[in-house]
Amino acid sequence: MSDDMPDFSNVKGGSSSTAAKIYVVVAGDSLSKIAKREYGDANEWKRIFEANRDLLKDPDKIYPGQKLKIPPKE
Amino acid sequence: MKSKILFTLFVSAALALSACGKKEEPKSAPTPAPAPAPVPAPAPAGIAVSGMTVGKSIGADKKVTAATEAFAKDDTMYVSVATIGSGTAKLDAKWTYRKGDKVAVVKEDSMTINASGPATNEFHVSKPDGWPAGDYEVEVLLDGKSAGSKKFTVK
Repeated sequence: MSDDMPDFSNVKGGSSSTAAKIYVVVAGDSLSKIAKREYGDANEWKRIFEANRDLLKDPDKIYPGQKLKIPPKE
Repeated sequence: MKSKILFTLFVSAALALSACGKKEEPKSAPTPAPAPAPVPAPAPAGIAVSGMTVGKSIGADKKVTAATEAFAKDDTMYVSVATIGSGTAKLDAKWTYRKGDKVAVVKEDSMTINASGPATNEFHVSKPDGWPAGDYEVEVLLDGKSAGSKKFTVK
């Protein structure tokens, strides 16, 4: 980038959808962390858990690489 | 007399052999069973972008409520992307700033969606210290391929 171009390093972005999003679990994730990031509220982790009951038996056991459905924010 | 008998025997034998050698007409090939009616192709699985709008705000339905192509420096910029179809697809939004022939990437975001029908998706960007005036563009990619772009300005 040329020196006379503005600095955009502090730009913040985000996304959302009316469809379920697919989130790929990374190391260090928990449902609460994902809920905080996606919904802005860690207590919404149950929504993610319920949407993935076919995949998750225990909300405390998620693994890197797992693809979780993230229901649309209400 | 003997030769006449021999001749008669010869002719009879020749006729008999001729009859034996007569080929039967080949049986016609069995009529092929009618080809099964073509099975209608299933609706193409997958997601397609059906429209995109830029604006200053969105509603709960993710649709832009204040469409514009001219933003103020403190605005949050939204691009709402309508999709049709079902399945899983990756959507990317690439925001760029243009000055003459120079291009700077402002922000790139992506999300993977799992849709069961028409959906509305949004990307947004904001800049705490305000947007520099100039020309901008947002390009939306669907599974890595450009699905459209919108140009707008900051005054």
